[in-house]
Amino acid sequence: MSQYIIRRVAVGFFMLLALTVLIFGLLRLAPGDPIDAYINPSVPMSASDLDALRVRLGLDQPLPVQYLAWLRAALSGDFGYSIQRGGIPVLPLVLDRIGPTILLMFSGLVIAIVVGIATGILSAVRRNTATDVSLSVLSFIGISSPAFLTALLGLYGFSVMLDWAPSGGMLTPGAPFSLGDLLSHLVLPACLLSIAHSAMIMRYMRASLLEVLSQDYVRTARAKGVREFWVIVKHAVRNALLPVITLIGSTIGIAIGGAIFIESVFNWPGMGLLMINAVTRRDYPVIMCATLLTGACVIIVNLLTDIIYAAVDPRIKVS
Amino acid sequence: MQRRTFGRLVAAAGILLASTALTIPTTMAQSEKTITGGFDVGPGGYPGNFHPHQATAGFTWLSTYYEPLVIYNPDLSEIVGALAADVSISEDSLQYTFKLADAKWHDGEPFTSADVKFSLELAKNPDSGSLFAARLGDIASVEAPNDSTAVVTLGKPNAAFLAILTQVMMLPEHLLGSRDPAELANSDWWSTEPVGTGPFKFVQYVSDQYVELAAFDDYRNGRPKVDRLINRYFANAAAAVAALKAGEIQFTYVEPDDAKTFEGNDGFRVIEGDSYVVNYIGFNHKVDLWQDVRVRQAVMYAIDRDQIIESLYGGAAKVASCGYVAPQIVPGGLNDYAYDPEKAKALLAEAGWDQISGGETIPWLTYYNSPQVGNVMAAIQAMLAQVGINVSPRAVDVPTYNGIVRGTDWDQFPLVYAGAQNGPNPASLNVNLNAAQVPPVGNNIMHIDMPELTEAIETAMAETDTSKSNELWQQVCGVMNEKMPWGSMWVASRYGVASANLKDFYWTPAPAGGPYQAHPENWDIAP
Repeated sequence: MSQYIIRRVAVGFFMLLALTVLIFGLLRLAPGDPIDAYINPSVPMSASDLDALRVRLGLDQPLPVQYLAWLRAALSGDFGYSIQRGGIPVLPLVLDRIGPTILLMFSGLVIAIVVGIATGILSAVRRNTATDVSLSVLSFIGISSPAFLTALLGLYGFSVMLDWAPSGGMLTPGAPFSLGDLLSHLVLPACLLSIAHSAMIMRYMRASLLEVLSQDYVRTARAKGVREFWVIVKHAVRNALLPVITLIGSTIGIAIGGAIFIESVFNWPGMGLLMINAVTRRDYPVIMCATLLTGACVIIVNLLTDIIYAAVDPRIKVS
Repeated sequence: MQRRTFGRLVAAAGILLASTALTIPTTMAQSEKTITGGFDVGPGGYPGNFHPHQATAGFTWLSTYYEPLVIYNPDLSEIVGALAADVSISEDSLQYTFKLADAKWHDGEPFTSADVKFSLELAKNPDSGSLFAARLGDIASVEAPNDSTAVVTLGKPNAAFLAILTQVMMLPEHLLGSRDPAELANSDWWSTEPVGTGPFKFVQYVSDQYVELAAFDDYRNGRPKVDRLINRYFANAAAAVAALKAGEIQFTYVEPDDAKTFEGNDGFRVIEGDSYVVNYIGFNHKVDLWQDVRVRQAVMYAIDRDQIIESLYGGAAKVASCGYVAPQIVPGGLNDYAYDPEKAKALLAEAGWDQISGGETIPWLTYYNSPQVGNVMAAIQAMLAQVGINVSPRAVDVPTYNGIVRGTDWDQFPLVYAGAQNGPNPASLNVNLNAAQVPPVGNNIMHIDMPELTEAIETAMAETDTSKSNELWQQVCGVMNEKMPWGSMWVASRYGVASANLKDFYWTPAPAGGPYQAHPENWDIAP
């Protein structure tokens, strides 16, 4: 087991390195650089001022030189300064955003797990009834709705039309902190974030439970006179959860992708908003650091899922 | 086992939730009167920029806590004193003497001529990351003969000097004077503890969320009427409109289409203003296609500008016959290039370009991504197709656009749709049209090389007498109209919407956000 973990960590490290090369290369393939983002095309700017800035930031160096300089500094923990934010150091900037993103992602995940598992059970137990069919239709809509669409529709419907939730942000500007204020800002983006995920969990839960329900031990439990409720909850659901746990772990990457859209629509101050802003303004140091941390998170979560999975089901040999 | 694992996962999520909630910083208590707005929304804003000498826009907001020596008046027709109570210019237009107002910094220290000297020298120093270094290059010296007088001497006359100074914010010498200019370029001082002389003082910046200011009690024109001013950030103008309609903010810039949705609504006031940006179709002068002026003129005749303004701008734009529309600098008797597709075809035939596209389309690059401009470009595309010119619009983001047009791959941008600032000082157009301003020096991205135009602009810019310079700018307009360096289209209006409970609130869609005399100290909000 420990050998397996060491190997996985080593592979993960090289994957991260490859990721940085890829991102660095892709970013530079796009025309324009951070200095080009400074130029408001309709405002008279003297371009020579900007060229001096380009030299000062080292953006005139050849690409491999820039990459190696970045890598050397990054390995010593120095991720440089944000180009577009008046020289704020990148690492604290990115670390500050992890909290709000985790808050949003886990709230969305918890809602998705609760709703997905509950509706999945309901759908499986009431198989081929009107409840099952309508839940299935809803889940297909949920799975096929892109995050940016549900986010915009949700914002317009619940915030502008119904005025049930604030239109964006994490806290009311200038107001004293209160948990209620935070939750009122959190509930709408978290619910919207959970839609696709809960639909996916529901489909898996339904399929997995149906399979388990036809097993011999379930029939045995029923034959022993156990009440149907306990047959489902105690015998069937416990076993049906296994593939769902795998699904939740392996779709963390997708959840991060969804969070990026939701964060940019709701101006939620997390990694997603930071990355979108950094990409549109070609803020290379921020993009590199944020991508590296996100990539590391996905790799670690996947590794943890594999380990938990092995621990949960002794039949699986990790090596 | 599974249930325990699942339980652990849920418990871990719960702990994470709770710990994150606890680590979110608390903010200051809300006071009685607060105005919240999207002050950095739209083309005049620059959210996230805190260094005033690195600003290319965002001056509406920056000038609520910093101030320049001189500033535009509210309708941008004249430059008046701000931190300088009085300005006198020597006969030879080389020496500017500033008599300073009796002002205080937010930390209570007096504002003096040492601050002026320090600020101008810092802005002129490229090591400080200043984007004003080249524009202030004419400054030969800055003297401080006494605490309340600053004297700036120029190496050569520059009629645009005061216009440039309106954007150069004064900085506190007593706090920054001892610091290395290069270190200041990358300092968090700007976004954590900046000190200015404006009506509001800095409280905090919550990253990507909002900037909070508080009333400065010792402001020289009296304490502001509201206690707090909050600048909320939005991912786009549509999100700001949602917040405005939900009552979360009291002001924002809006896109023209959104402005219409507020008409007739008593809860809001729609503010319309001149954008001071001329939209033009740029012909890349390095491309053979556009060498003959008749081809460029044919493009003008092929476009029904009145129809587009009527149907797509709702009448809220003025047809431009040259780079600007201000009546005092536009001469009479210009060719208005009225819609005449037959004439366009005839001109193309005369120039030998009647098979202009040759079955291929001409890429038409723009950095505008709004639905309105998309419709405008589609309309023009259809009109040009009528005379046999096939173009294909391509909208990209600003850095991509700048990366392309500042390069030399002419096939990527034979034609652009862009905007250029044409006021309040028409000399703004110099960097776009002067032959000496091709990249990397300036912003003459279309590589316009017309000696007659360059000479006319340089003569107009050297003239400091207003009535004489108006006449010279009329000549520039005449050359532009005839020689067609680019196809001037129109100057459109821009909009802001303010909640009806804002009192004495002033805003205008100035290019780059101004700055202009908005008098934020007078802004008030009804309970």
